[in-house]
Amino acid sequence: MDLMLFAPELSLVITGLAVLLIGLFIPTESKKILGYIATLGVIVALFFTVSSLGTQATAFYDTVSIDALSQFFKIVFLVVALLFTISGIKYTEGNSNTEEFFTLGLFATTGMMFVASANDLMVLFIAFELASLATYALVGFEKKNPKSLEAALKYFIIGALSGALMLLGISYLYGATGTTSIPGIAANADILVSSPMGLVAVVLLIAGFGFKIALVPFHMWAPDTYQGAPSVVSALLAAGSKKMGIVAALKIFVVALIALQAQWQIAFAILAVVTMTYGNVVALRQTSVKRMLAYSSLAQAGYITMAFVVLTPLALGGGIFYALSHGFMKAGAFIATAAVVYMVLSENKDSTDPDHIDNFKGLGRRMPITAMCMTLFVFALAGIPVTAGFMSKFILFSSTIKAGFVWLAVIAILNSAISLYYYAKVVKYMYFLPTDSERVSEPFPYTIAMIIAAIGVLVLGFWPEPFVYWAMEAAKVLIPGGF
Amino acid sequence: MLPILSLIVLIPLIFAALTLLTKTKEQARSLALVATVAVLLLTVYMYFNFDSSIASNQFEELAQWVPSLGITYHLGVDGVSMPLILLNAIVLPLLILFTWNDERKSPNKFYACILATEGAVIGVFTALDFFLFYVFWELTLIPLFFMVSIWGGPNKHHAAIKFFIYTHVASLVMLLGIFGLYFASWDMTGVPSLDIPTLIAQFQYIESGIAKDMIFLALLFGFIVKIPSFPFHSWLPDAYTEAPTAGSVLFVMLKIGGYGLFKIMLPMLPFTASPNLMITILAVLGSVSIIYGAFLALSQKDLKRMVAYSSVSHMGYVTLGAAGLVSLSVSGAMFQQFSHGLIMSIMFMSCGVINNATGTRIINDLGGLAQKMPKLATIMLFTFMASLGLPGLTGFVAEVSVLAGSFVNLPVYVIIALLAIVITAAYHLWAFQRTMFGVYNEKLGTVFDINRYQTLSMGIIAILILYFGFNPSPVFDMMLTNSEHIISLMAVVGV
Repeated sequence: MDLMLFAPELSLVITGLAVLLIGLFIPTESKKILGYIATLGVIVALFFTVSSLGTQATAFYDTVSIDALSQFFKIVFLVVALLFTISGIKYTEGNSNTEEFFTLGLFATTGMMFVASANDLMVLFIAFELASLATYALVGFEKKNPKSLEAALKYFIIGALSGALMLLGISYLYGATGTTSIPGIAANADILVSSPMGLVAVVLLIAGFGFKIALVPFHMWAPDTYQGAPSVVSALLAAGSKKMGIVAALKIFVVALIALQAQWQIAFAILAVVTMTYGNVVALRQTSVKRMLAYSSLAQAGYITMAFVVLTPLALGGGIFYALSHGFMKAGAFIATAAVVYMVLSENKDSTDPDHIDNFKGLGRRMPITAMCMTLFVFALAGIPVTAGFMSKFILFSSTIKAGFVWLAVIAILNSAISLYYYAKVVKYMYFLPTDSERVSEPFPYTIAMIIAAIGVLVLGFWPEPFVYWAMEAAKVLIPGGF
Repeated sequence: MLPILSLIVLIPLIFAALTLLTKTKEQARSLALVATVAVLLLTVYMYFNFDSSIASNQFEELAQWVPSLGITYHLGVDGVSMPLILLNAIVLPLLILFTWNDERKSPNKFYACILATEGAVIGVFTALDFFLFYVFWELTLIPLFFMVSIWGGPNKHHAAIKFFIYTHVASLVMLLGIFGLYFASWDMTGVPSLDIPTLIAQFQYIESGIAKDMIFLALLFGFIVKIPSFPFHSWLPDAYTEAPTAGSVLFVMLKIGGYGLFKIMLPMLPFTASPNLMITILAVLGSVSIIYGAFLALSQKDLKRMVAYSSVSHMGYVTLGAAGLVSLSVSGAMFQQFSHGLIMSIMFMSCGVINNATGTRIINDLGGLAQKMPKLATIMLFTFMASLGLPGLTGFVAEVSVLAGSFVNLPVYVIIALLAIVITAAYHLWAFQRTMFGVYNEKLGTVFDINRYQTLSMGIIAILILYFGFNPSPVFDMMLTNSEHIISLMAVVGV
């Protein structure tokens, strides 16, 4: 077995351990270096992943497979991790637990990457838990902040429940087919179709993944957690962890359980419609920007879920491409919020809700770069042209129409029209409402992370060809045969 | 050869970005003037090299963009778009001159918005790929949204949001129509393509009649909201009225709805499953807009709002002429767009001047302004005459062509529209009499006439109205060529 296949994961693990060790021996003031090391590790991993694009291999007795799908999602996770570590440099400034922050982040990313390449349900579950456990701890990183702790506890309890449901579902699959291998289950699908165990497994798995992807009605934890968690961690959750749920669901439903398509397709159709509508409508009334972004994140997950309903290579490719775009847009938006929160807290230490939309008043004058990037991110989320968001909606929605689900596309398009209202509200606060406050200097690492995300959003919008190509390659892994 | 179309789209967009970086009003307005004059020169050059005897696209530029989805970078002009590009290229430098001495907050953003709108609108007129078309279509929204919500009147936020959401929803419906066309053609040919001429040509081969009608209506909805036509006009009075003067003029330059009607809808119309129904829809919308807009204009108290409603009425001629489906009515409708752009620019500029000078636009509070503002009164009288259709000016040429042409196929609707002519004359003359003549209202204090920049810019447009009124052929010929081409498509099917 070629160890180079796992170079990206290995570089993350090694960096994570190194950060943890080094952190033990250096004083708090010089812990800033840990952030740079972590960033470097992510860049190396990203380099290895990109340079091995197109590799096709399996490892560990066929339990792990490296293919276009896993590599595409690895890039998504690594990009999010990159934004996370860069902005983490500022967030953890002066914190004595810096090493834990970065190590947990890197381990979570490693877990997500293994989910993307899992070819066996046990590997998938363990990787899933690795990522989840690391993020539970990250959400509660602000030990003195009751909101952060509440968020972590809620997330942990719900996460444990969803993990249990998922495991139970997997055990049914194993019981019926005698294997945990994903292609193995697909090969024995006739057993599942003929026995009620298949249906039970589908229900349990949809519930399990529904929690992770935050589909309504399994979404209750998401707004509280995204709001209470440090913004940088919310970025990791919304942009990274959610995509892990999606890639896992793609593997289990579209590959392993494709024979039961009739049973789960309609469930996903209902979940998609309910999730996007609920997310958008509730987002209209939010005054906390992080909470608004959390609900918008529900809506976006609803759009991506459409790929499960349409199930054509184009739709799946569109959904996968959407995952990458959403990574940039949502992580960017949360980091921009983090910059604002940082600014508010540095002015007034006791501010109870630093992400309240009132704090965005006059941001265009106070923090011009942040405001400009935030404008780009929310317009991208709304699907305004020449941004990544428009390109992804274009592919996904148009593929929905192509497959004949015109009603679904119409609902989705109406939803994106509604969403424009609350996204435009943020822009209105930033540029049109006056403020007396002075211009402040923008925290440098946040700015870098936002600019990287902004460039990503624009590149995907202007020149999507190579990314669309790889997304379509990834979709071919799910549905061999292609177009 | 010089990529002239790319240049006239990109110069305003690039200069918009540069203008944002400037610090003072002087720098911003100079940059804006340089950019718009450059566009004007290139457009004039293009105009003189344009062959108005052929209906096909000229100055084409084609490059692959996203091959796997059939998206290309495809630009071109024909007789429908050339006059509209010319209109934008002429009016925009004059608009910059008009605002030359104005004092306002953040002039850099202001001029950047003007330039971005120009680039996006010309982009819509030149795009021959639906993706590019939609991108520019949506791009027009953003600077105009900012225009209204930063420099607008007291009710600006409401007007801006209403305009944005109203037209954005319409664009999304249009996008659905584009998707339908795209996939129907993809299924038939096996090759994805978003090329506008290709897709329009493919439209007739779609088998399902319902699908054809749905696609047609979805696209039509996007266009008639932008025109705007009754009953989807309600965003217009708010947006036009609340916008600053320059914003109102930009709205007037936004002829993309009517453009879509001629460029995309009419060539597809004969191949829909029920062409007669579609013609009736257009004719009803057009004639009702004409008369309903005129009545609403008559009842307005605010001068600018009156002008905005008169715009609904005038744009009704565009829809009616398109439905008339003879080459005279169709080219008359195209000419109405051109003429309306020139006339309305001065109308809104006049409203802006009056508002600045007196602090009010309420018609009853004004009066006798002609004594204090003779230059404005002269130009305004001229424009009001052009707007109500005095022979020898552009409005007359356009309206007569539309009404005479449409009478062949749609006599009833034309008679309905004719009734509006009386009302049109009434509200114009009545409003002019109450604002300009009579006893000067002393409460208005001391007012000053238009400055020389304003005189220059309004004067040049007025001269153009006169010139094209006597000699419309420089733009009318190419419109006629294209409308004959459209009508020849009708003949094939025998509508």
